[in-house]
Amino acid sequence: MTLALSSIEVPVASCVCATAAVSVRGLGKTIDDRDILDDLTFEVPEGSFVALLGANGAGKSSLLKILATLIPPSRGELQLFGAAVRSDATALRSRIGLIGHAPMLYRDLSALENLILFGRLYGVADPRQRAEQLLDYVELSHRASDSIKTFSRGMVQRAAIARALMHDPDLLLADEPFSGLDAPSANALERLLKRLHDEGRTIILANHDLSQSLAIAQRAIVLRRGRLVMDAPVGDLTQAEILAEVSAT
Amino acid sequence: MIQIARHVVLLAAKDLRIEARGRQTVGLVIVLGILIIVVLGMGLGAGQPMSGFGASSILWVAYLFGGVLCFEKTMSVERHDDALSGLLLAPIDRSAIYASKLLTNLILMFSLALVVTPVAIILFRFDLSAHPLGFAFVMGAGMVGFAAVGTLFAAAVSSTRLQGGLLALLVFPLCLPVVVTSTQLMRMLFAEGGSLASGGVATLIAFDLMYLVASWLVFEQVLEP
Repeated sequence: MTLALSSIEVPVASCVCATAAVSVRGLGKTIDDRDILDDLTFEVPEGSFVALLGANGAGKSSLLKILATLIPPSRGELQLFGAAVRSDATALRSRIGLIGHAPMLYRDLSALENLILFGRLYGVADPRQRAEQLLDYVELSHRASDSIKTFSRGMVQRAAIARALMHDPDLLLADEPFSGLDAPSANALERLLKRLHDEGRTIILANHDLSQSLAIAQRAIVLRRGRLVMDAPVGDLTQAEILAEVSAT
Repeated sequence: MIQIARHVVLLAAKDLRIEARGRQTVGLVIVLGILIIVVLGMGLGAGQPMSGFGASSILWVAYLFGGVLCFEKTMSVERHDDALSGLLLAPIDRSAIYASKLLTNLILMFSLALVVTPVAIILFRFDLSAHPLGFAFVMGAGMVGFAAVGTLFAAAVSSTRLQGGLLALLVFPLCLPVVVTSTQLMRMLFAEGGSLASGGVATLIAFDLMYLVASWLVFEQVLEP
């Protein structure tokens, strides 16, 4: 199945609604004898848009890194699309895209060279064509041949989004993607995330801006000191209730 | 295996392209290597003919310090903007990252050797005419073992602030067997008139293989996003 979006034909994974994109059971992470995450249990159905909320140090970034298979959990079980990460991590990585704090791009290569490189690593059939389409998608076609180090923060972030989408992931993890962006860039990114969700992707977004998160997500998961304290559809919650959970000591 | 080889070539080509753009590593390493040779030349009295054994000892000093700089620089490319995490997210065998870094480091070290060795030959009047190929083989094999360990530890310390000093502290003692074996082989070749058909070469290759296999196996564990 494909959805036409802008000038790109974006393939969309056929929905198997019974399968959870993310399934977490008793997950925990301990670093230097400190529990960063503890006893997390939740599921994210395919095609959902989840806002991951919490104060600084709540464990949002660590959780996203674990979901992206960048770091292993210390305990518990993690399944992505029904497969255990512990035994199948390499294959699952082709279904995950991560937009992190850092762009994860080579600053001395051009945007196009970066995207082609990652496309080849992911086994994309025609990486150049895909890279050009995505640069058009994130409105960077005019700077395709310029090295990343010449880009503004907003442009780097858009290039990072293109990198994360290069292999057309089914699960998109975004860790504070709005930080450092000016208002027009933040609005453009918000629209882009909505569009990606409409195309059928599962999105988990960690974000400090509560009202922005509630405006675009369907469900909120709140972490406090590494523990899950709230997991509910956005419509069932008020901003004050979530804020109380986020800031409770 | 073909897929891993393809990724290795792809990543090494990326490293070399970045290096070709800035020429930061190769330029620094060659200048450092020449400086070391010149300083040693002033200290040891350049101009007097020196055998291949002496040549290998002096060149190893330049290769060791130049090599550590190579390992550090090629790994720091991955730390800028957390590019390493981009690689770790890709569905590739992580040993391909190690092999590509090793390949890049070897290419840079051989570039260093191509410049520094002739400078040392002129300055010290090294007489390598008895066994030029033997000299090249032994030094090349020694570099492989050194780069195998250096690439591994560069990845391990790249996330720390100590970097340079720590890397040299870790790598120099570990690569000592390779350096000692290669200099002993040189003594055998040039001072004692022996040949490479001896146990020394087998020992050197055994060290290389041991370092390569151990580093290949451990590399994934030392990578920290």
